[in-house]
Amino acid sequence: MNLSMMPKKIKKSRVALLFALLFFISCVSESQFNIRIEAPGKIVLDLDRFSEIFITDFLIKSQAKGLDLNTEIIDYFSSELGNNFKGKISTKKITMEKEEVFKNEDFWKNLSADKENTLFLTGNIQYKEEVRKAVLGRKKKDAEDPFQPEKTLAERRFYLLNLDLYFIDGKTGKALYKKSFKESRNYKNPEQTAYFAFFDLIKAVKEKLFRDLLGERRLQQRYLIIR
Amino acid sequence: MFNKITRGLLSLALLAIFFSSCSQSILDKQILFGIQSAQRDLWDEAIFRWKKAVLSDPKASAPHNNLAIAYESKGLWQEAKKEYEIALKLDPKNSYIQENYEKFKKNHELIDDAKKDKKK
Repeated sequence: MNLSMMPKKIKKSRVALLFALLFFISCVSESQFNIRIEAPGKIVLDLDRFSEIFITDFLIKSQAKGLDLNTEIIDYFSSELGNNFKGKISTKKITMEKEEVFKNEDFWKNLSADKENTLFLTGNIQYKEEVRKAVLGRKKKDAEDPFQPEKTLAERRFYLLNLDLYFIDGKTGKALYKKSFKESRNYKNPEQTAYFAFFDLIKAVKEKLFRDLLGERRLQQRYLIIR
Repeated sequence: MFNKITRGLLSLALLAIFFSSCSQSILDKQILFGIQSAQRDLWDEAIFRWKKAVLSDPKASAPHNNLAIAYESKGLWQEAKKEYEIALKLDPKNSYIQENYEKFKKNHELIDDAKKDKKK
């Protein structure tokens, strides 16, 4: 249609529409984008200050049958710390009877035997296994056997790991780092063993611990903007 | 005659709008290209694009905010802090920039704390 042939009002509104369209195209679009970046974590205890870490025996409060908790935890931390620590990792046999030993500075100073820059990793541990039963209800379908039970009994294997970890400075005998970890998990599998469940739980502990020791980077969200 | 002048003026106005939106889109294109690069983890390319955007419009807060994020992801804290501060100065009410800067400051405090602990 020829523009000059149109009535004035229609012409004006068409022009206004054109302006609005141009403005809309030039101004309206998405203004922000989420992006995830790796942010640094805080190192709570700097292991690089030390040349040797002694992993001592742990105070065992309770343990599941068929598992030598003390040996397993020492082996686990020896291996995992060894992958991330430049110095030497050793083990030390000690007899632990009471929790007070963790606060006994002279005990740890004597244990280090004047060795420079030594750190002790120790703690107490409790590992429990339980079988929990629960009644599960379900809705009956129309065409279902009317004599089938509406409620069934479900069994879960439940494992709980309570671990207090101490990193003690051999020079001063003071605890430089102390943290309590409480990890639990239940399994549908009735054949689940305490041994394998332990490694699931200790892995969760390790992830939290290493975040503090190595300052592992964590993902954080930021907004990238256009205008 | 009057019609011709009106039509001419109208076309000029349309052209002006087109070009102003076009120049805006050139800036947007640089910023968008930078964002696409950042999303592919190509932070150096993103920095190059956003620096170009800053040159073309020094008063735009967006490229400064984005540059700050790029520097942050590369571990260049001082540069990141400077860019966040410029972005906030240019657009103090922008909630996205505010939120980014708050998170950055929190991390920065943690790093400073860790450095102090190390000195002790």
